[in-house]
Order: sequence, then C-alpha cells, then structure tokens
Amino acid sequence: MTKISASGPIARRTLLRAGVAAGALQITSPFILTARGETPVKIGMVNPLTGVLSALAQSELDGAKYAEAEINKKGGILGRPVQLLVEDSANDVGTGVQKTRKLIDRDQVDVILGDVNSGIAAAMGQVTNEKKVFHIVPGGHTDTITGVDCKWNVFRVCNNTTMDTGAITPELVKRFGKKWFFISPDYAYGHSLQEGFIKALKKLGGTYDGDYLPINNQDFSATLIKAKGYKPDVLLNNMGGLTQINCMKQIVQFGMQKDMALGGALFEFETVKALQPDAQAGWWVMEWWWDQPKVPEVVKFVADYRAATKKTPSARDWFGYVSMHTVRVAAEKAKSVEGPKLALAMEDLELPPDVGLGPLKVVYRKGDHELMPAIFVGQAHPPKAGPEDVYTIEAAIPGVEAAGPVEETGCKMVHPA
Amino acid sequence: MLTLILYNVTNGLMLGAFYVLMALGLSLILNLSNVINFAHGNFLALGAYMALELTKVIGFWGAFLVAPLLTALVGAAVELLMRFVYRRDPVYSLLLTFGLAFVMQGLMLWWWGPTPQEMHMVPALEAPVSSELFFITWYRVFMVGIVIAAVIGIFAFLRYTRVGLRIRAGTLDLDTVSALGVNVRMLRTFNFTVGCLLAGLSGVLATGAIGINPNMGDDLLMPSFIAIIIGGVGSLTGTLFGGLLIGVTAALTAAVYPAASEVVIFVMLVLVLLIRPRGLMGEEGMLS
Repeated sequence: MTKISASGPIARRTLLRAGVAAGALQITSPFILTARGETPVKIGMVNPLTGVLSALAQSELDGAKYAEAEINKKGGILGRPVQLLVEDSANDVGTGVQKTRKLIDRDQVDVILGDVNSGIAAAMGQVTNEKKVFHIVPGGHTDTITGVDCKWNVFRVCNNTTMDTGAITPELVKRFGKKWFFISPDYAYGHSLQEGFIKALKKLGGTYDGDYLPINNQDFSATLIKAKGYKPDVLLNNMGGLTQINCMKQIVQFGMQKDMALGGALFEFETVKALQPDAQAGWWVMEWWWDQPKVPEVVKFVADYRAATKKTPSARDWFGYVSMHTVRVAAEKAKSVEGPKLALAMEDLELPPDVGLGPLKVVYRKGDHELMPAIFVGQAHPPKAGPEDVYTIEAAIPGVEAAGPVEETGCKMVHPA
Repeated sequence: MLTLILYNVTNGLMLGAFYVLMALGLSLILNLSNVINFAHGNFLALGAYMALELTKVIGFWGAFLVAPLLTALVGAAVELLMRFVYRRDPVYSLLLTFGLAFVMQGLMLWWWGPTPQEMHMVPALEAPVSSELFFITWYRVFMVGIVIAAVIGIFAFLRYTRVGLRIRAGTLDLDTVSALGVNVRMLRTFNFTVGCLLAGLSGVLATGAIGINPNMGDDLLMPSFIAIIIGGVGSLTGTLFGGLLIGVTAALTAAVYPAASEVVIFVMLVLVLLIRPRGLMGEEGMLS
C-alpha cells in the first residue's frame, strides 16, 4: 500500500474536520448571514388572564397587542420586529414568578411587562432585578413598587396609590364630609390604598373605620351591616375587579347609597360597564379616560382603536399600549434593548403626545420611575350620550402634584455599576 | 351588640343556605358514584350564563326554570365520560373532573369573555324587606325559599320514590343493587344529572348577588366540599347542617375579623378531621 502524500487522496481526519466545519456552517450561517433586524425584540407579558382580575388583565393585553401591531407596521424597534409573548399568572404569586423566569430563561425576552396584581408585580420585580431585565409594571398600584422597594430596572405606568388617594380625597371631603368607612382587599394593593387614604384624610381632620376582606370575597353583608351602624359620610369601595362589582351590587341592593355617598380610588371602565345603572354611581379616579374631546390625539386614538378592536379603550388598554410604546421610545433613545441602557434612557423620559394621550405632559419621573400623567377625578353615572358614557371628568390633577416629592416615597434608587 | 349578633347569624344562615344547595349536588354525586366532581363550580357558572342568555328571550322567570334543566342536560352528557373511570382507581375520576373544570372554564372564557356580566333581576326582588332589616332583600328571601323547597324536594324524592330508594341503597352497596337487576348505569346518569341540576340552580340564584363570570363557581366549590366533610361524607342531612354551620361561622367571623372569614372554614375542617374525621353525621370509614 502506498503512503498517502500531501497531494494524494484526502486523509480521513481531514475529511472529518471538513465535514464538521461544513456542518457548523450550516447551523451557524443563518445567524451570521441574517441581519440583526430579523431577530425580534421579545417582550414578555405576565398577567392574571384567569381569576378575579382577568377582565382588567385582558384589557392590558388588548392594548399591548394593538401597540405591537402599530409598532411593527412602522418598522419595529431599532429595525427589529416586536414579538409579544404572553403568560397567565392566574392571580397567583408563585405562578407569576415561575412564568417570569420561564420568559426570561427559556424565551430570552428583552423586556418584561406585568402584573395587574400588585403582589405579583412586586415579586416579579425581584426576579427581573436579579436577571437585569427591563421591567414595566403597567397596572399594579401598590406604592412599594416605586417606593421603598424601587429598583433601577422597574418602571410603572399606572398611578401609585398615593397619587390616586391624593387626587380624590380633597374632592370627597369637600363634597360629602370627613367621616369615612373603607372596604378594602386584604393584600398589598388594598393595604397601600387604605393607608394612602387614611394619610390624606387625617391631614384634613377626618375620622374612619373599615374592614379588610379577602381578595376573592363574595359576600359583603357583614361589613355592610357594620358600615350602616357607623353612619359614615362616605363609603369607600376599594375592592378590585370582580369583587368590586359584587360589592357595589350589594351596596345598592341594601340601599346604602341613600344614606351615604359612595366613592373610592379606582372604579375601572370594565367594572362600571358590568354594573346595572343604579350601581353606576359615586366619585372616583380614572387614570385615563377615552372621552377627551379637547385632546385631538385621544380622539384619533379612540377612533382607530375602535376600528381595529371593536371596543372602546379603557385605562387598562392604555396601560398596555403605553408600556409597549415606552419600550420603543426608550430603545430609540438608548439605541439598545439592554436593561441598564433602557433604564437610563427612561428616566425623565417624556412620552410623545400620541402615546401619552392626555391633556398634560406625561413623564417618567427619574427619582422613582413612576409615570406622571394627569389624574382624572369625576363621577360615575348611568349612560348618558351613549352606552359607554358612564363617567364625567370634573378635574384633571397633575400626577406630580398628587404624588408628592420623591423623598416622601421612600425610594432610594441604586443603579448597577 | 345582641342586634349585631342576630343580624350576622341571620345573614350567615342565608349564606349557609346557598352553600347547602351547592354541597347537596356535590354530595349526591360523591355518595353514589364515588366521584369528586371538581367541575361542580363550573356547572354553577354554566347555569348562570345560560340564565343570562335565556333571560333575553323568555324573561327572568322562564330562565329560572329552564337554565338548571339545560345545565342538567349538559351534566348528563358529561356523565357519559365518567363511565370510563367508574371501575378504576378514584384518582382517575378526580383527574377527569379536574381537567373538565379547566376545559369548561376555558370554553366559557372563550365564548363569553372575561368581562363580568350582569343579569337583570325583577326589580321588586332587589329591594330590602324593610329599612331595619336592610341586608335582607326580597331576593335573598326568595333564594332561601327556593333552597328550602329544593332540600325538601330532594329529601322527599330520596325517601318516597323508587328511584330515590335505589340511589340510597346504591350509596350503601351498589354491587348488590346491581345484582338485584337495577340498571346501575342509568341510576348513575340520573344521579349525576340531578347533582348538576342543583349546581345550575345555584348558578341562577348566584346571579342575584354576584356578577356572572367564568370563575364565579371556583370560590364556592371549596366551601361546598368542606360542608360535606364537616357534615359527614355519605350523609345528606350532615351536608345540610355542615353548609349552615360554615355559613354562620363565616358570617360571624366576618363581623369580628373580616380578613379571617375565609380561613375560618378551613380551621373548622382541620378541627373536624382531627377530632371527628367521619364528620358530624357521617358513618365510620366513609371518608376512605
């Protein structure tokens, strides 16, 4: 057998090496040849799509999906298409955290959005901070998220409870009186909200009583019996989602609205629409409202949204919409979707009018990462001009006024080195 | 103080009456077929949605009569699936009904959406009976009346009819009943259907107090199970007392420490399991 020379037949090892190289090229070449623009910017949303907050979560998702389509129509983020990945937290903290980890570790998302449930949102913030992933909380209201537990990577669209309570309390005291009774859910949001109300009420010399009830509570009779005995000027229904509906139903069935005023912080569009006309009552905060005839951007947005989705947008739709566009605007400023760069770009970021969609400037405050829009104070009522005309704005309070200074939030923002 | 206690006891009895109706349906199915129907709360929701749709066509009273019957028909169809697991380990029926619960909830969510819906009541029913007893609305009186009628009806049916007798005998020894020539398949189907009828009726009655949504039965399911265990597995009378007891306890707790109004019924469950596992009126060994 003749020895194989350099110019002779190819050696087995050479052939194997060539084969491996060719194979590697087959696997890697799409990544090398494909422009960065084809790799989507992945945004993961974790929300309670089942459970008592499902209607609110679905609206946030609707707003986010609408924004996703809008952003992709205009070329995406930094030339890359946007892909929204959605997981259901089922209104459970453990599930919400697990789904967040799954989106980050398995799906490699660039940004996380969520959760409607404040407790879940706070827990998700721990995970996203650990993983250095940019996180927007569209609709979880508890103060601590942008207060004592603020994090460099976490921003919030909706108001904190101090903002809502600070906006509505003076109006309720002025109109009805200072003796209040609270019905609040026994979790992070409920405690934060009631404490915010108490702080604002005490400043005006008010007195109060109230009950904390389980988040899924269905029967309010015992609490309403107690409230009736207390004879308050204002009965505040601080429950959320389905439980707020059930509470309002029973308040009206028991005729409580004849003896005392009704009110509170949030009385969401989804909730108001689900009630019978006699329960569509009281004084409340709306964090965004579709009927702003003096703001042309809102008029256009509502018309386009209705045409695309066959529904009128609520504040929750707006939260989802703003969250997605915030990522776009911040990425354009930062020229990146990396967490730390997005976070720095977001601070003091003013949203353009076609995203902010309000009568005042809308800015993410640097000190606590809280969005500062206008807060609407007004009255719910049975439909007037149409089936969705169930709320009238009486005043638009600047969010930054209702929020108070950053120093009072307890937030001490620490950015990564 | 005494007035407050009396108010809350009355309130608790009304709440308990509702738990009784739910628990009776669940108990019927469990006693004869040894099936823990995790989808029972979803049948409640289905009954509510059916009432919502039927009200638009045949009014409230028509919907009140027809919706539970339609729910029962769906139950009869579902029972056909149960036949595959009757002879197997009880875990199979548990898993089947657990999966069924998710399927039903998903279908209701898909068809009607997550937004809660309101059923329009007869206005006269929504008013309180008096300004003093403001928390007792005519609707709640009506609901208690229906529950009492349903309970008397079920007990009379089981006591005085041939089919009822066979169901009672079947809960004790189904093999012997079968050996005596009774069509056990039909018996089980009928029993399951009656259980779902009670769930559907509960759903229609629930629309007067809470908004209609796909999850509305979930939070009522666990108290129903607890009512059965506290009352005694295998005893319908026990279920009756168990439901009333947890209703009153939850209402009194809500008056004193509302945040604990849910957890107190679980505390009662633990105490019963520790002290008297067969429940107040159950027989030894029924729980196993």
